[in-house]
Order: sequence, then C-alpha cells, then structure tokens
Amino acid sequence: METGGVRMHPIAQALRDLDEPTVNRLIDEELERGTSPLELVTHLNDGMVAVGRLFAEDEYFISQLIFSAEILKGVMLRLEPLLLEGDEAERGGCVVIGTVKGDIHDIGKNIVATLLRGSGFDVVDMGVDVPADKFVEAVREGGAKAVCLSALLNVTYPEMKNVVETFERSGLRDQVEIVIGGAPINEQVREFAGADFYAPDAVAGVELCKKIYG
Amino acid sequence: MTQELEGLYSERLGRYQAAIALEPTDRVPIAPGSNYFAEVYSGNTNQETLYDPAKWVEGELEFVRAFPETDVLRDNRLWGPQLDAIGLRSYKLPGRDLAARDQFQFVEREYMMADEYNLLIADPLEFMFERWFPRILGEYERPGSRRSYMAFLKSGMAQGMYAQIMRDRSIRLQEVAGMPQPMTGAFVAPFDVLADTLRGLTGAIMDCFRQPDKVVAACDRLVEEMANFALRTADPLKRYPIFVPTHKPCFLSPDQFDRFYWPSFKKVLEILIGAGYKVRAYLEGDWSAHWHHMLELPKGSVLCDIDNQGDIFRAKRDIGHHQCLAGGIQDSQFILGTTDQIREQVKRLCESVGVGGGFIISGGCNIPYTTKPENYRAMIEATLEFGTYDASLRPMPKQTVGPTIVDAFDYPKKMTPWTAKKQELGGAVPGDERLIQRPWDDLEAMAYAWLWQWTM
Repeated sequence: METGGVRMHPIAQALRDLDEPTVNRLIDEELERGTSPLELVTHLNDGMVAVGRLFAEDEYFISQLIFSAEILKGVMLRLEPLLLEGDEAERGGCVVIGTVKGDIHDIGKNIVATLLRGSGFDVVDMGVDVPADKFVEAVREGGAKAVCLSALLNVTYPEMKNVVETFERSGLRDQVEIVIGGAPINEQVREFAGADFYAPDAVAGVELCKKIYG
Repeated sequence: MTQELEGLYSERLGRYQAAIALEPTDRVPIAPGSNYFAEVYSGNTNQETLYDPAKWVEGELEFVRAFPETDVLRDNRLWGPQLDAIGLRSYKLPGRDLAARDQFQFVEREYMMADEYNLLIADPLEFMFERWFPRILGEYERPGSRRSYMAFLKSGMAQGMYAQIMRDRSIRLQEVAGMPQPMTGAFVAPFDVLADTLRGLTGAIMDCFRQPDKVVAACDRLVEEMANFALRTADPLKRYPIFVPTHKPCFLSPDQFDRFYWPSFKKVLEILIGAGYKVRAYLEGDWSAHWHHMLELPKGSVLCDIDNQGDIFRAKRDIGHHQCLAGGIQDSQFILGTTDQIREQVKRLCESVGVGGGFIISGGCNIPYTTKPENYRAMIEATLEFGTYDASLRPMPKQTVGPTIVDAFDYPKKMTPWTAKKQELGGAVPGDERLIQRPWDDLEAMAYAWLWQWTM
C-alpha cells in the first residue's frame, strides 16, 4: 500500500494490519541482518500513523488502537535496550498528558499517549488523578507547548477549568495550548474550561498536537 | 399507603411500563435510571448514599418533594459495608478511599491471567475460589486463613442486611412517596464480565486477537451465570425491568461485537425476556454501529438508554420503532447549560424522538451529580409542556406477576443441591423431606448468587 507516495516497509504494513506474529518475525529478521534498531523504530512509527489514519477513516475502532499499542509496546521492550546512547530519533515536540484530579480512569489517556509517541512526540505521561500544579510543573520542566487533559467523569469540568486557571496564575498560559478530551467532554465544556481545543477522539487529539507544533 | 399515593404510584408505574412497551400513555415519562443528582440534592455526601441507608432515603424523599413530577427513583446502589466486609478491590469508595463527596470509581485490573481461560470454562467455581477471589477480594487474600472464613461469614450476613435495606427502601419510597423503581436486579453482559472484573479491557482485547476462540467459549459459559444472577436479584413481581450497563461495546469494531459480545449477551437477554422480564440496557458510549441488533429481540422488551456519545435522533430512526429509548440531554447541558437551552432540547426531543411514544426523558445514562437544580426543573417543565400525548389517558400498571420459567438451565443454580446432599445422607431422610429441602436449596441459591455479584 502506498502512503504519501512512499511504499511502506513490511514492518509498518504488518503493524498497520495488526499482524502481531509477522511484526515480531520481521523484527527478528531485521535485527539478525544488522538493521539499526533506530530504523526499525521509524518503521513502527509509520505503522502507528497508518493505524491512526484507519481509525480516523472509521475503518478501525478503539480496540484496534489498543491492540496496535500493545504490539508496539512488546517490540519496544526488545528494541529499547539495543538503542545506543544518543541514538534517539529526531525528537518531536514535548506533550504533557494526564487524567485530571478526581478521576482515575486511564484508558483514553493511554491510547492518546501511545499514538503521540508513535507520531514521534516526546510524551510526559503524568498518570491519573493529577493535581493542576503538577501539570504546570511538568510544563516548566519540559518546555511542552501542548498539554492534554483527559477525563471520564462529568464531575471533572471544574477541575479542567482549574487547570487552565492554574496555568494562567503561573504565567505560563501563553506558552501552552491546552487540549481536553474524554467521554463527557464537548465544545460546551471546552468553552467553560477555557481550554484551547477539544478533541472528540484519540486521533483528533494527536492531530491537534501536530497542529500546535506545526 | 393513602389512596392518593397508591394512585400516584400506579400512574407513574403505568406510564413507565407503557413507554417501555411502546404503548400509548398520557405523557413522556420522566424516568432517569441513575439519578445521581437525586442522591446529593439534599446535601448528602456520596459516602452517606453508600453507607447510611436512612439518610439516603430521607435525602431522596426531599428530592421527590422538590421534583414530584419525577416518575421513578432507583434502588440498586452498592452498600459500602458489604464491600468492606469482603475487601472488594474493584471499587474506590467515597469516604473510604476518596473524599466523602467524590464519586465512587471502578478500578480495572487483570484479576484473571491470560492463561486461565481453560479453567474458567471448565469449572467457573474452581476458578473463582482458587484464582479470582484471592486477587479481587482483599479479605480472602489468604484462602483458608481465619480472616478469610470470617470475611465470607460477614459478607454473607451483609448480603442479608443489604437485601433488607433495599426492600425497606423500595417499600418506603412506594408508600411515602408513591415512587416506583426504574429497575431492580442487575447483570452485565458476559463479555463485560471478562473485560471489567476478570481480564480488564486491555487484557480482553488482547485475547480477542490472540485467543479468540477462548474468549467466545468463556462468554458462552457465562451466559447461564449472568442470567441466573439477574433473575435472583430481579423484582419477584416483575414490575420493574432488570438493569444491564454495557461497558465495552463502544471499544469494539462491528465484527468484534458480532463475534464476541452480542451472541452471549443476546442469549442472556432472551432467557430474561422468556422468563417474563423487561430489561433496561445502558448503551454506554457510542453504540450506533451495534444497536441495530436490538431489532432481533421482541418489540418493547429492552429499554435502551442512549449515552452522551450516541445520537438519539439516529437511534429513533434505527431502532425507536421497536424498542423504547431514554436519554437526550447531555451531561454538559445539565451541568453548564441554561434553562433555555434545556427547554429547547426537550422540545426538539419530544417533537422527534417522542413522536409515537416509546421515549423517556433522561440524560446520557445518568443525571449528573452537579446538575443545576434549575436545569432539572426546566427539563420537567418542558417535558410536561411538549411531551404530553393525551392528558385524558390514565396510565395503569400491567399485570406482570407470573411464574419464572427458565428452560436453558436448572434455575436457580446451586453448588450442592439437595439431591446431592440427600445422596450423602444415604438417599433418604426419615422425616418430612420437604421441610429440609426447601431451606437447603434456598440457602444454596442465595450463596450461589453471592459468588457472582463480584463480577458487577
């Protein structure tokens, strides 16, 4: 299959097709052949981007996003020790992501974080039940331009707003764009919270981060 | 109960039942299932709802006085002490693990390993006692310890207390406020058992790709367990539907849903409907790729709550001629919106989804805790204004009482039925066997249902 005029590597194709045994076999073969782990990571990232595209086209559903992330996780466990120091792919922008305070749900947040990594972002995953000042601290340390706030519970609307206001008080509000997402989130909530964007699904969230860093 | 309250109870129940059955009634029922707003309206904390039944019911009676047009109030909540007695790890509770005003939260983990399907399928009880309980029930972490025996003992007693609490509550709501229940009894779809409390979502999805046949076989094996649990906890008079929240379909592709979720779920639904019950199903998340399956079940048998992410107008076109729909108002509208916005939305709903009946006004599978009271009031006023079909009709409850007939398995399920015990006693007893058999089997059936409640 062609993507953007460039033929996809078989590893990228196998990941796109969620063919776990083939991904693992091809990785073995390439490593034996002496292919650099860094190059393999690039192919895997291509595969993840293709998965995201299929999701955006309604070909794939969330279960397929989750499985692609699991395949990737398994391969990365093997590749990471092989990557040489300074052997990192050209680092994309930094994104801070977390589920806001008062909510411990992480399914949506984890999917977005994996897709962001697959798209080359440097992701700072703050976990769940994250207090507002922790987001600010992470931005101060990592210099992220994008912050993604996730929630499943509708009681978190005020907390989303609180995070935005905490950024305002910290003086960092102008340096970041804040994206919110999760089941009970919509445009009305974005407006209330004062966030910059609302992501209706995981892939939309990744696209917004690309736009922010565009 | 005064005649007036009895009349009110009958009218509300009749209205609710008519809407579910897609039959004519006087107006659109105001019948949310999970009315979180009602729980905290009086100022009660979330901890009080789960730990102080008297305060909970008094709080909701205050809600009824403020919003008497509401047609139902629910009964089916967790009772904190029962979970404490056994140390259930799958919930974080307000007041115990969270602040008293926080919402309870579900803790999803891998409580079953990927290589344990064969055991689950071959012998679910063995699987539960040997593998699953020690992981999910904190007080049973060391099976055979004194503490583990005490935990079972306490939890069994707590189950009796809990049943009494809910019975008293139901009677009090009925007698003091003329208030019926939106649902009684519950279960979850077999795939959700796997993906909620056994393998967790990620584990279950891995299994769908890596060992699909095992997933299908496990779901099939769980059909009778879930049907049994649902019937054991249902309203014996069959006035109220049985509740099923559906948690994971929104993550599945249509192919996966058709293969892993629907066949076993449908079998449970058919058993319950065949036994004379209606079901209230929360179609959580976006079910639009799956809800056409509801057409395969008898007309007016499953009340479908459409969630915030679902499009209820599309649901009306797709399945609204066959099953009743509930919902239509977004969480964000209740919490952040204005009374004018609510009024407009209810008008739109009544003039489209409400046409021809089979529609219940509600939020997306809940009324949020932080709903503005004036928005709930606006929903009521607009429903009365735009959702009245024929004010001269007087809704009356249906005759629902009847025997519970189950052909699919030997209902109710027991671990050691009397017939087995009798063999141990030499095949006969000298006195009146019936006096022994009935309580023996009743206790067996109660204990058996207790085992499965931790999948909820």
